[in-house]
Amino acid sequence: MNQEAASQKSVTSSSLHDHRPAERSPLMTWIGWVVSKLARGLSLLIGSSFIIYTVLRSAPGDMVDLILGLNGTPEMKADLRAEFGLDLSLVEGYLGWASRALTGDLGISITFMPGEPVLELAGPAFLVTLGIAIVSLFMSIAVAYGLAIFLGPPRPRQTLLLGPIQLLNAAPSFVVAICLAKLINELIQFQLAGGGQIPPSWYPIPTYQRLSDSIAPFVFAALSISLGDGLFTDLFNALRSELNNLSNSLFINAVRAKGASVRPHLVKNLIVPTLSIFTARLPLVLSAVVIVEYIFTLDGSGYLLLQAAKNRDVPVVVGVSLFFILAVIVMNLILDLVKALVDPREVAKGE
Amino acid sequence: MSKIKVSKIKVIKIWRASSLSFQLSSLVVFAVFLCGLVNPLISYDPVLDVDLSRRDLAPSLSFVMGTDGQGRSVGLRLLKGVEAFFFPGLIAGFFAALIGGGLGAICGYLGGWVGRSIAAILELIDTLPRMVFLVLICTIYPPSILLIAMISCLLFIPSIATVVRRKVESLGAEDYILAHVAHGFHPLKIISYHILWLQCRALLTRQLIFVFSYVLFIETALSYLGDYGVQEPYPSWGNMVAQSRISVAAWPWAIPAVAIIVTIAALLAFGDGIARRDEEVKR
Repeated sequence: MNQEAASQKSVTSSSLHDHRPAERSPLMTWIGWVVSKLARGLSLLIGSSFIIYTVLRSAPGDMVDLILGLNGTPEMKADLRAEFGLDLSLVEGYLGWASRALTGDLGISITFMPGEPVLELAGPAFLVTLGIAIVSLFMSIAVAYGLAIFLGPPRPRQTLLLGPIQLLNAAPSFVVAICLAKLINELIQFQLAGGGQIPPSWYPIPTYQRLSDSIAPFVFAALSISLGDGLFTDLFNALRSELNNLSNSLFINAVRAKGASVRPHLVKNLIVPTLSIFTARLPLVLSAVVIVEYIFTLDGSGYLLLQAAKNRDVPVVVGVSLFFILAVIVMNLILDLVKALVDPREVAKGE
Repeated sequence: MSKIKVSKIKVIKIWRASSLSFQLSSLVVFAVFLCGLVNPLISYDPVLDVDLSRRDLAPSLSFVMGTDGQGRSVGLRLLKGVEAFFFPGLIAGFFAALIGGGLGAICGYLGGWVGRSIAAILELIDTLPRMVFLVLICTIYPPSILLIAMISCLLFIPSIATVVRRKVESLGAEDYILAHVAHGFHPLKIISYHILWLQCRALLTRQLIFVFSYVLFIETALSYLGDYGVQEPYPSWGNMVAQSRISVAAWPWAIPAVAIIVTIAALLAFGDGIARRDEEVKR
């Protein structure tokens, strides 16, 4: 709601309608809320994929020559032109490209894994990425929550312990990953896959024969993301101040006076602020996964993205980027839904 | 003469009143700025510096931070590596604060469908995961550090605009802004001087510093991955870590890694300190 300073009229008219309960039934309110959220997600998806398409079209020189290099046959060039709709206008080309992308046709890899359909490359790889992102978010929240509860309200003596946590705020996740890999390899003579080395550009997607081989890099990748880039510090600081506010609030005092256990009430009230941080942090976490996956040579889409980028394999890079954007939008929808289920006031506000 | 004296005393007063973390971080930020400004004056030839007879030397008096696997001085390379992010970071931060601040103020002040459509476009940019978008751009365009800085500038405009918009929306109903409107001041003057300059100065400075630290982060990350950032043999903090991560000695990779963490930490603390001081002064 924006309050324009000059127009008094709009201010008074909007304040008339404030605080008046909606006339609709609860079910209709819910349906309206879900539909508006879905519409917003869909428009975001269309808009951001349009941005990507525009970036593609704006490539300097002839894009097809750029993608195929010197060894492109005329048929391949014609195929690519049709694929990206280069002969059509911007909007028509976008519509054709987007409708093909919707049916799952993202083109084929050209230089990195020649001939492989992008969807088959990016789909399974993206599950790994999503897994790392979710595991690291939950790892971070578990440790931050435990530490915040353990430390309780701020006291002057805790500065020594809090200093390193604040310093973690500034540690990029790739630096944390290198330090972890170095430390593990030094301490227990364990050769972590990748272990801080960068694979050359011809190196294909790693395939792990046994599940146990990929578990160690997976865990360390998740660990370094949950500690790095200020994710842990942000969660910890937010939870701590929230916890502090809550434990001074009247209803917690009332619970305490009744002799009931305080913790369930605390947990339920902490869910919404935590989810808000999740929403704000998700694009950052997915960005961090890209680098960290690459460092630990995990078979995820971050690795795929960077190797494809090194080989200038445009269809793969574009396909993976679309997956990332889709993930951000869908995860935001899910987080909003959970938030609304926990705290239905959000829905009633109509926001 | 007396003017200088007054400002000197003021600086000392501010220094004494500020917290230890602010003092430390401002020292580090000052040192980094000094390195960045001095950098163009230092001539450094990365090829001539190679000397295999002095590989992996421990820190000593002649090489304060030791030497790396090719016998190059880590300290000198660290100093020269500041160049990779200093000016691009400043440019990106400046333009992000300028454009983001302007758009946010327009959004918050005008409101209505203009404000809503600007906010919608900004939200679109905010959905793109930054790293992924940067890699996409670097695949399609020939990568250079200036391009990376400009894209990070673009990617940070939405978050700055959101912060400024909230501030302006809360200010819009204040009496003195209404008084300016009633006086018939031009809206542009109210937005640019009374709102942005007088009220959001510290906020924008903090955001500028944040973008600067992000450019440092993204430059080191991309140089670490190779191919995008500063190329060997020219030094940048990221490729220093990448070059020596498999070396036997610890300092060639540990020193730049620590430098990255300390600099980012100092920048963040410095920005926070400025914003906090501003709030205290207003109260």
